Amino acid sequence: MNHKLLTALAILLVAAASAGCSEQQQSENEIRVGVVASMTGPASTTGKDIWQSAVLAAEEINADGGVFVQDLNRQVPIRLIQGDDESTREGGLKAVSKLITQDDVDLLVGGFSSAVVLAHQSIVADHRVPYIISGASSTAVSARDDIDTQYMFYHRPNTDDSSGVATLFIGDVLRPAINAKFNFPDDRPLRLAIIYQDSPYGKGHLSAIHNTIEAHDLNIEVVAEESFKMGESDFRTILTSVKAARPDAVYAVTFLNEQIPLVQQARRDVGLDTIFLTIEPNDDPDYYSGVGRYGEFSMLESRFSPYAAPKGPTGSAISEFVDKFNARWGGFPGMMGAATYESIYIAAQAIENAGTLDKAKVRDALDALEMPQMIEAMQGGVIAFSDDYRESKFDLYMSQLIWDESVGELRPKIVWPDTLKETDLILPDWYTPGSE
Amino acid sequence: MERRRLKLYLLLGALVIGAFLPLLPVTNLYLLTVLILMLIFVIYASAWNLLAYSGQGSLGHAAFFGLGGYASSMIALNSGLSPCITIFAGAAFSAFVGLLIGLTCVRLKEWFLAMVTFGFAIIIQTVIVSMLASITGGWDGYAVPKLISSDIHHYLLWEYYFIFIITIITILAIRLILKSRIGLALAAIRENELEARAAGIDPVQFKLLAFTISAFIAGIAGGLEIHHFGYITPEIFGVELSFWPIIYSITGGLGTLAGPVIGTVAVSILWDGLNIFGLTYERYIIIGILLILTIIYLPRGLVSLGERFEEKREGVRDFR
Amino acid sequence: MDLNPDVFIQILFWGLYAGCIYILLATGLNLIFGVMKIVNFAHGEFLMIGAYITLLFLALTGFNPYVLLLASMPMVIGIGIMVERLCFRPILGTGKLNEIFVSLGLIYIFQNGVALIWTDEWKTIPSPFVDITVSIGSLKLPLDYLIIIILTVGILAGLHIFLRKTSLGRAIRATSQNRKAAMLMGINVERMDMLSFGIGTGLAAGAGTLWAVSGQVFNPYMGSIPAIKTFAIVILGGLGSIPGAIVGGLLLGITENIATFTLGGAWKDAISFILLIVVLIIRPTGIFGEAGE
Repeated sequence: MNHKLLTALAILLVAAASAGCSEQQQSENEIRVGVVASMTGPASTTGKDIWQSAVLAAEEINADGGVFVQDLNRQVPIRLIQGDDESTREGGLKAVSKLITQDDVDLLVGGFSSAVVLAHQSIVADHRVPYIISGASSTAVSARDDIDTQYMFYHRPNTDDSSGVATLFIGDVLRPAINAKFNFPDDRPLRLAIIYQDSPYGKGHLSAIHNTIEAHDLNIEVVAEESFKMGESDFRTILTSVKAARPDAVYAVTFLNEQIPLVQQARRDVGLDTIFLTIEPNDDPDYYSGVGRYGEFSMLESRFSPYAAPKGPTGSAISEFVDKFNARWGGFPGMMGAATYESIYIAAQAIENAGTLDKAKVRDALDALEMPQMIEAMQGGVIAFSDDYRESKFDLYMSQLIWDESVGELRPKIVWPDTLKETDLILPDWYTPGSE
Repeated sequence: MERRRLKLYLLLGALVIGAFLPLLPVTNLYLLTVLILMLIFVIYASAWNLLAYSGQGSLGHAAFFGLGGYASSMIALNSGLSPCITIFAGAAFSAFVGLLIGLTCVRLKEWFLAMVTFGFAIIIQTVIVSMLASITGGWDGYAVPKLISSDIHHYLLWEYYFIFIITIITILAIRLILKSRIGLALAAIRENELEARAAGIDPVQFKLLAFTISAFIAGIAGGLEIHHFGYITPEIFGVELSFWPIIYSITGGLGTLAGPVIGTVAVSILWDGLNIFGLTYERYIIIGILLILTIIYLPRGLVSLGERFEEKREGVRDFR
Repeated sequence: MDLNPDVFIQILFWGLYAGCIYILLATGLNLIFGVMKIVNFAHGEFLMIGAYITLLFLALTGFNPYVLLLASMPMVIGIGIMVERLCFRPILGTGKLNEIFVSLGLIYIFQNGVALIWTDEWKTIPSPFVDITVSIGSLKLPLDYLIIIILTVGILAGLHIFLRKTSLGRAIRATSQNRKAAMLMGINVERMDMLSFGIGTGLAAGAGTLWAVSGQVFNPYMGSIPAIKTFAIVILGGLGSIPGAIVGGLLLGITENIATFTLGGAWKDAISFILLIVVLIIRPTGIFGEAGE
């Protein structure tokens, strides 16, 4: 009996030990990049996009022989290691600690849900692994000061950036257009209604809208503010009270599964014939196929679209990326995929600049990085991380959805800013402005 | 006699593994993280299991888990006390709320109780993100002190041992409760409330007691997790977090002391093991099938596997 | 806001449409409870599967999605019967907590099984009538909503006739009223269990098809929220009571919308549970529930 028990114990210990030391390899033959993505759970659609785009980028780099590392005096291929955060905080912590210690990664890329990233940031800070975060748009993630975040770099616009651009557009472009069309006095404020998801994402955008109005002294009056539960599908009551407030435009902070029924119910059921504005996560093929004709002339803040082709150098880069992604995986890449694809290239560039895999030096190289924009338009045409919270700055744009008879779906046309613009803003005939 | 000794050996073995595993040279951050989370969920599942022992199945234990985390971190931030102390204060708050929730639940039948506890987790989350947003940071949450300050060398190891000791104390405490008059009363209520009443046991009083103690222990687990993460967000009240302790307890053995422990360890190893094989959705399907098979074929969980085996062996011996 | 009669009737109409989905779910749940005295917490997953089967057959046949009710309902009845045989029958009479736990396992299996087959990206089923509205008096009503209401009434009427006029239906009702007596009368109660579970899940699948066609976006996790609300409704109304389900549904619908108006949309879910808890504190068996078991 005693004997058996000891054997069992020994086996258990050996099993645990072997689990602990599996995959421990020399890391000089390859650059090990951990990709933190939600492969399971509610965020897994985005997670797959992140992972597939990362693989695409790594394969391209490796096809060229890899990344040249001065220290080793040769080109080294990139090896991606998947870390599934399971869309939960616990899963993220496990995945990241496994990537850091067991897989001994040189660098981390990815991270989507803000809550999940917040829970594993401190472990990354402790182990000083460079982390290029391509999601987690909440400013609570990037502006954290309780831990040392100097190894973390953010390649995504934060909520302030995205809603800032959309709000500026409302104040500077949409308001004058409405006033001109209906012969209103020039100083007439725009009556804006906001419908937002009750989540970190929704709350972040809500405060960004208010901050932008205040900071730029925009002539916008917020006449209604309504929240809804994540995953909501019945917006009729909210829309009825929004309609009663008589807005000139409705700003909806939603995901596409919410935006589709919201717009349909607003136009069809409630008769709210106004301009709807929404933000970047909805710039997705599923949105265009789902929303149908009711989404016509609504506005979308974006930085990467499967269909829009901004004027300038990124236009051709986008179609090239979309084609390559489609050839490799079938289907369209999303916004998070584009950012992750770029992040892998950013990582490669930083390592090449550093000339070593030493984490502190790679971090410094990231900090000093200045590389030309790739798929997504960047401010000044350059990918660089800001001095304060190490965030890259995107050139965001507004597009308007126009019906395309040849595909039987809506397609986005960029209307602002002028540097990227494709067509002019249209106020449709059925549009009715709000009033006091 | 044989069985007692076997149990003792197993217990000693578990303790030895628990005490020395982190010290092995191969043990790294990953293994330590997995072990720490495992221990936290052992405590949490034990809390849920204690309530189930009284015949009350909660679908919303994340309410207590999260409240423990919020209360403890707020006390730690405002008083400057070490989280090692404030987790108990947080747990006390969780127990107080548990008592209040228990008051509405004790008269309810199984399904109703399940729905009401589920609802409480949602209500508490809503209150935290809306009415109390000014102090809880709403959906953004806030940073909380680490259980053991990360300035201390090998702080994760210290964290592990602290949580290990709390786990042992928790399990001993639950054992004491189950062996005492209270435990007998709870079992009697679970089996037949009318008979228990006839025997002079006041079901309301004991059910409330179970609710309070269970909320207290779940609160400790929540506090430990939050101070391990170093950040708290309302996601702590998520449905998943209410479901895991149920899965752990049932797989291990519903209503037994060792059940939640064995269940948590076994399911966690299975879960992370399946991940190595690249299974994603399949993992959930396997867990779901395992859960149903356990309920149908092994109603007393993995714990009873050993007993069954032994019974069979003894049966053979008798035959000889 | 100004509540003129037209707007009021319109809101009532939306409530009626949304209520159709809940009534189909709640009726199925009550039918199963009546016969087997079990509650299947995974009921919403059958709604979700119904929507996906509709999607599958739409791609295969290109038929009008409403016609595909004839595919989704029978197929899910089959799945329901299998689930009953494999998962619920073995645990009948072993303690009520087990039903809850088995449902939990089923939720994991179905959600992730569907995700494995169809991925968990958002899907839509376009209705062929999406742009058509019908004017009734001063009201402009989308044709889809009218069809959904008519189909729901049709399905429920069919169920009513089946339960009242056929011998099989009478046997189900007899089992529901007194299981032992039914057994003594020579009714095969296990077959009745199977049948009622199948019909109950079939109703959920019908709700799923109608829900998807009415412009909802769905993924494998979409079944949980409507299911939870249905439970609240069923519990409010009292388990096993059909009029209770209708009253409970109306009560919940009104409370939710008032809460959305006054407290904000974030409270929509919480308020249903607050209502549930308040009702249960006053009457632990629900509004129409019987005192005993």
